Amino acid sequence: MSSARSNAVRAFFLAGLATSIFAAGALAAPGHQLPFGEPAKARQATRTVAITMRDNEFDPETVTVKAGEIVRFVVVNKGELLHEFNIGTAAMHAEHQVEMAMMMDHGVLTPTSFVRDVSKIDHARTGGMKMEEMKHDHPNSVLVEPGKTAELVWKFTKSAKLEFACNVPGHYEAGMVGTIEFTK
Amino acid sequence: MAPTTRWNEARRYLGAAVAVLPALVLGGPARAAETGHLFAAMQVEQLEYRLKNGANVLAWDAHAWVGTDDHKAWLETEGEKPNGERLEQGEFRLLFGRRISDYFDGRVGIRYDVAPSPDRGFAVFSLHGLAPYWFEVDASAFVSHEGEVSARFSADYELLITQRMILQPSMEVDLAAQSVRERGLGSGLNDLELGLRLRYEFVRNFAPYVGIHWERKFGGTADLAREEGEDAEDLAFVVGVRLLL
Amino acid sequence: MTGQGFTCCRRRALQLAGAAAIAGTFSIHPGRRSFATAAGEYGLEITAGRITVDGVGSKAIMMGGSVPAPTLRWREGEEVVIHATNRLDVPTSIHWHGLLLEGVMDGAPGFNGFVAIRPGETWTYRFKLRQSGTYWYHSHSAMQEQQGMYGAIVIEPTGREPVKADRDYVVVLSDHTREDPRRVLANLKIDAGYYNYQKRTLIDFFRDAGREGFWNALTDRLHWAEMRMDPTDLADVTGYTFLVNGRGPKDNWTALFEPGQRVRLRFINASAMSFFDVRIPGLAMTVVSADGQNVQPVRVDEFRFGPGETYDVVVLPREDGAFTIFAEPIDRSGYARATLAPREGMEGPIPERRPRTILSMADMGMDHGETGHGSADRGAGHGMHGGAGMDHAAMGHGAPAADGGPRRPFGWADAATPPGTKALDYADLRAATRNPDDREPTHEIEVRLTGIMERYMWSVNGRPFGKEEPIRVRYGDRVRLKFVNTTMMAHPMHLHGMFVELENGQGDRKPRKHVVVVPPGRTVSAVLTANEPGEWPFHCHLLYHMEAGMMTRFVVEPKLA
Repeated sequence: MSSARSNAVRAFFLAGLATSIFAAGALAAPGHQLPFGEPAKARQATRTVAITMRDNEFDPETVTVKAGEIVRFVVVNKGELLHEFNIGTAAMHAEHQVEMAMMMDHGVLTPTSFVRDVSKIDHARTGGMKMEEMKHDHPNSVLVEPGKTAELVWKFTKSAKLEFACNVPGHYEAGMVGTIEFTK
Repeated sequence: MAPTTRWNEARRYLGAAVAVLPALVLGGPARAAETGHLFAAMQVEQLEYRLKNGANVLAWDAHAWVGTDDHKAWLETEGEKPNGERLEQGEFRLLFGRRISDYFDGRVGIRYDVAPSPDRGFAVFSLHGLAPYWFEVDASAFVSHEGEVSARFSADYELLITQRMILQPSMEVDLAAQSVRERGLGSGLNDLELGLRLRYEFVRNFAPYVGIHWERKFGGTADLAREEGEDAEDLAFVVGVRLLL
Repeated sequence: MTGQGFTCCRRRALQLAGAAAIAGTFSIHPGRRSFATAAGEYGLEITAGRITVDGVGSKAIMMGGSVPAPTLRWREGEEVVIHATNRLDVPTSIHWHGLLLEGVMDGAPGFNGFVAIRPGETWTYRFKLRQSGTYWYHSHSAMQEQQGMYGAIVIEPTGREPVKADRDYVVVLSDHTREDPRRVLANLKIDAGYYNYQKRTLIDFFRDAGREGFWNALTDRLHWAEMRMDPTDLADVTGYTFLVNGRGPKDNWTALFEPGQRVRLRFINASAMSFFDVRIPGLAMTVVSADGQNVQPVRVDEFRFGPGETYDVVVLPREDGAFTIFAEPIDRSGYARATLAPREGMEGPIPERRPRTILSMADMGMDHGETGHGSADRGAGHGMHGGAGMDHAAMGHGAPAADGGPRRPFGWADAATPPGTKALDYADLRAATRNPDDREPTHEIEVRLTGIMERYMWSVNGRPFGKEEPIRVRYGDRVRLKFVNTTMMAHPMHLHGMFVELENGQGDRKPRKHVVVVPPGRTVSAVLTANEPGEWPFHCHLLYHMEAGMMTRFVVEPKLA
């Protein structure tokens, strides 16, 4: 295939990716707050919810919380693929899916892993983009490789229409999403 | 030859064909026939009026076949009838053939000429098919019931100007091993026909055309024609129709 | 609505997609004791009738009183009973495409002891559903499939359905002709190019001579002519109207959604002769299933599929607008079109039509010759799309035209997919679960796809059906099928009774398929565990190719006692 063409495409997408991640960072920067909540410390949590990930589903698929509650999510990936646990609105997931697709395109994500050590990424493939921008540093999300366990502690400050989702390309569409319901 | 003799002759050949055909066509590929894989086609390649100096001529060239992928029977006819005159050429062929390669059929059969006079019956051996570069070709050898040997080679090509406007050059050459004076044929190269027809396929099955037809007799054949007061060379403008039925 | 048609009785309510479209009776008869173990019992009448496509009426043969036939929604594990009654004056049959079942229930006359259903007779099919996913059913007799005898089957899994779709639609694509299929076949036998009105002309020659130089254009013509091959031979039959769920492009079949909903579209290529390039401009499609079998989700912008294949895709339309489902046959002789919209009556724009490709020398098999599994894998992987790359450079095609016009596609696989968008490739298909049988194949069976286009003769291993040499394997054998396409056309090869695992480089997650598309001139391989005894049809799913003889018997000899 024409490598010149795909490089041009890549550069275009990377420009977009840099912008969107910068924007997300700016939004999350002051205390990592989001309109519906913020990250918290594990010791503050009043409840632990265990979530199992498989290819490609969450178990359970519904989690009920109260506004103001701090929940510690313990997420175990029992599948063979990389998955994400991300709390957000459907619109936020939609945006994040675009970023994740780009990260996959540029080798930061593979179907089974997340390349945390940025020095291992082929710089040619990322088009000279700053590695800081590829770190997937979002307060409301964790990436969990197959067989691994991760935690996310979240304070649900107020009631909202929220989903927890895996935004690895294709997984959300294929049904890897659950709902967060608020009780009074 | 008296009309009765002529008919007897014709019946003899037709009878042979009728006896042989069912065995050839229906015997071998009977299984294919059961599964509905017996196909048939009828094509009037040329049905045309040749406009030229002297008498204009109605000419035709048509064939029908029935059979399977591997075995087919053909009925072919071609002829010319000048305006207001008797049939100048009238030829019928009944051939059986089988596929001998991807693109060629080998055929044997009979040919019966009702004109020119006197009638003739022939045995036919023919190689018919599609040559490289998309030339449709036929090479036939004939042995008449009088023992005369002759041959014919024809080829044509289709050049698509547009999807429906097609230019078709064609050629046909006749050769004979000996002269048959009463039929106006010399030995050696008898005649050469070249045609160029431009048709328009309104649908595949119906395509009117215009074109030119050039014909030249050679050697003894040319001499005999001149004796009859005919030209050895003819150029005609043609108008006709090609039909697929 | 004529009294003929579709009857049903089952314990729970039967869901029917587009129930309004079904002519004939639909009734529930609870508790027929003789079929007490069956969850569903159906009456399907096969009748001759008329349909209207884009306002034009034509003859059709129907199952259950409609075209397509009623969608059969079943559940894995249940047993179904179908009484098929032939109301035609010729024999008929119903084949359950992709279903694992006992041979005599497969519905292919002349195989496994199944005999065509004679006029006036009823044949009762009875089988237990051993799988889930999207499948279809169609006639296996006398080209009746072309005349309307096809419908969808949707089987829900017993376990968790991975795709939690808010909306679930069947999208049956087909090609409709008003000609009698026997006439179509006869025309092809008389002139294989009968329906091709996209041949290369003198005008094309001058255009190409202007672009590529006179000698290049001439040499190219001479190469093709020498071999008596036609590089425009992409589809044998034209004159088709392309249908979505029985509706023409003007009828505009519409599927509804609410913005933000997850919509599952079960695409079934129920056409007789058409490979389709399918896209929904403005929506990415996530492929979640191929031939009824779940695959790891793949996000694509378009996919190509051949007759007999199915793909399930998920789309997430977020805007409150209409989207066009657009399917172009590869010869671009028309299109099928439907609409995804929040409300009835909306229409999305008709996208720009894609240019038609032209076959390359690689499609003639000029670049194969390598054997062995490595290259077979590559054939599968690159066959459906990626193969185009190598052809471009070689022939100087494929680059943007010098006059700044759009890029001219080149080679069978080239769908003119725009840069930066993704077309599904066979290599992308990765089974959702590990292949159950990890044995290496003990032997390899070469399946040569053969034919003589000019005579419209098609065969497997050089032998037309009727003179076929059956392929024999023993029950339990693990074998490799190596498809070698020696022809200039792509053949969607369909094996009844069993799935094959496509060797597409996905290791122990080879996708399971019941139809494998083998592009022209290429080699594709698949492995198979012969675990369904019987004598199964194995054929090209291009209807007229099968009818012309491109079929053989795949015999799984029973286990010795």
